[in-house]
Amino acid sequence: MGGAPEGAPPMNRMVIAVLALVGFFVALYLFAHNLGLTGPIVCGVGDCATVQSSQYATIGPVPVSVIGVAGYVALLTLSFIGLQPGRRNSKLIGGLLLGGAAGGALFSAYLTYLEAAVIHAWCQYCVASAIIITLIFFAALPEVSRLREQDS
Amino acid sequence: MKKFYVIFAVIAVLGIGAVGYSVGSNSFGTPSTELVEVDGLDDMEVLAEIAQGVTKGDEDAPFTIIEFGDYQCPGCGGFALSVKPQVELRLVESGRAQFIFYDFPLTEIHPHAFLAARSARCAEDQGQFWEYHEVLFRNQSSWSGQQNVVGTFVGYGEDLGLEGETFESCVKSDRHADVVSANHRLGYELGVSGTPTIMVQGYGQLRRAGNNSFQGIEAAMIAIEESAAAGN
Repeated sequence: MGGAPEGAPPMNRMVIAVLALVGFFVALYLFAHNLGLTGPIVCGVGDCATVQSSQYATIGPVPVSVIGVAGYVALLTLSFIGLQPGRRNSKLIGGLLLGGAAGGALFSAYLTYLEAAVIHAWCQYCVASAIIITLIFFAALPEVSRLREQDS
Repeated sequence: MKKFYVIFAVIAVLGIGAVGYSVGSNSFGTPSTELVEVDGLDDMEVLAEIAQGVTKGDEDAPFTIIEFGDYQCPGCGGFALSVKPQVELRLVESGRAQFIFYDFPLTEIHPHAFLAARSARCAEDQGQFWEYHEVLFRNQSSWSGQQNVVGTFVGYGEDLGLEGETFESCVKSDRHADVVSANHRLGYELGVSGTPTIMVQGYGQLRRAGNNSFQGIEAAMIAIEESAAAGN
């Protein structure tokens, strides 16, 4: 667990938890749409129907929204665990948060590229998710210094 | 930390509310989604009375082009979006033919086809059958894989400016189930076994159009004309 004394709950992990919760609901809405539970997708701007009906809306049999739901749940869980006393300096939690956020941001960047260059349509919920995961990635960056502090 | 939990709880409540409302507003009503038994359809006169195609064009045109179609059938989507526009432009608008669409939902393989057909009829109640017909086919790949399409179909009506409550209550009912079922029975009686099936009627004759193509329709019309000219 490391010998460094624990301070206040890390602010960046609180931010990650809040952002991951918002992202979870965005992905959950898209997943509910994939299941046909929501009716037509509510989309003020962009063309979600085109994006959601494209071949890129699934990876094999798995809807991309499911991957989003799972990813945000994982980040949410990790950040919550990382806020608990005794875990605030956890190197493992910090590494997983940083890696998960970076992986999510890269995956989201790829999906954004598909919308822009291949599908030629934008889904505002996908864009919202891309912004959220990017913010989570920036919020996870302090984990780098936390990891270094523990190494030194 | 307490402030964090408050913010977290507020977002959780708002998120659950938003997604829950979205799902809940889609789950009212018990729409009819299967073919129904209609008394008297064994009698061809009764069948002809109940079965009703939706027409486009001059009813006095020398030819009638008949489609038996299924909204969840990809081939029907292809016909609706690539062949039918040519038919309308070159045959219907010129007054050479009238176009009639009959429902033939293949409910065993297309679980949403019957509801789609009924929804289109609900749109017809408000004078927008063909607009809704096109929207269904244009978005076929979007709704076809959904488990529950009621809200989607209601939304398409709203997008077209149909009177919301009337259309929604129609979709979420068994309205037009008899007509759609009768249309299906009519197709069966005429030997329709798959969709789309395109027939050309004129000069007292009825012929299948080959390949469901525009060329096939024209060829059937020419064959009918030649046959009529030869006095057959």
